[in-house]
Amino acid sequence: MSVQKSWNELQKMARACRIVVDTLDVLEQAAVPGVSTKELDKIARDHIVRAGAKPAFLGYRGYPASLCVAVNEEVVHGIPGPRKLKEGDIVGLDLGCVVDGFFGDAARTVAVGRISDEARRLMQVTRESLFAAIDLCRPGKRVGDLGHAVQSHAEEHGYSVVREFVGHGIGTHLHEEPQVPNYGPPGRRERLVPGMCLAIEPMVNVGGAEVEVLKDGWTAVTRDKSLSAHFELSVAVTALGPWILSEEYPYADQQGEARRA
Amino acid sequence: MPEAAPRDVIEAPGTVREQLPNALYRVELENEGRGQVVAHVGGSASLLRLRPGDPVVVELMPYDMGRGRIVRRRG
Repeated sequence: MSVQKSWNELQKMARACRIVVDTLDVLEQAAVPGVSTKELDKIARDHIVRAGAKPAFLGYRGYPASLCVAVNEEVVHGIPGPRKLKEGDIVGLDLGCVVDGFFGDAARTVAVGRISDEARRLMQVTRESLFAAIDLCRPGKRVGDLGHAVQSHAEEHGYSVVREFVGHGIGTHLHEEPQVPNYGPPGRRERLVPGMCLAIEPMVNVGGAEVEVLKDGWTAVTRDKSLSAHFELSVAVTALGPWILSEEYPYADQQGEARRA
Repeated sequence: MPEAAPRDVIEAPGTVREQLPNALYRVELENEGRGQVVAHVGGSASLLRLRPGDPVVVELMPYDMGRGRIVRRRG
């Protein structure tokens, strides 16, 4: 059972999540041909620190950087290094920060210069599958409904979803209960209740679902080397519906329960 | 940052073929084309004394299909 956050705690979550998404906006602009992934990591770290937060990934289970980058067939957890981005790459940027004891976590896959139609379509479908799941973040739904929504949407378009990694609850820890798989039957797993915060993060492959982890112990790649995209947002379940924590609280103009988490 | 999912395990019927050192056994899988795996004996099944020819159930992990864990005797 995940911890239910109070209204006050949700405000803190929102602060952390906004810093992450603001930083991703900066990184998206910086991801141009010729820039190295190491440079992106430095931009990310500097931006987070300037905002008064701390990178959440640095040192997490020994992870050596602030940012995870995943170029093309890399799925997630790529360690920034000297590799330079080139025209036509798609690069997953996954970032987390902690401020005032609360974590924010978000990711997106961005285009480097002009990319293929296939890559663009993959990114579009992956983003849509994330929003299909976010739309279900309402009391009474279940965690399994989210994964079902992601899987259905991705597979409708002929893509596959990664099983080896899952989304997660988030709050005073980067990874909290419950786990949020991107696949599976609806109506199963934990019931969603107001105040629950979930990092939902579909990882979608053009080819097969199988991934393998490289010798560095982190970088996950598709086994068939097909393109992979990854989008993630941290979302609170509220009585009135989903609140994407990096955005304004969307129900402020509503009566009654509006301020209740 | 996604969390590593708990590894899915697959159970498969097999037959013990050979006893190896270190409480390992070579197990031939029943299902055609699955071949043989080297398996240790796990959990409460570790009390089993297995001999070649014994039918068992093996847990396989999708990461390493060449290794497994004998979880119980079959039949």
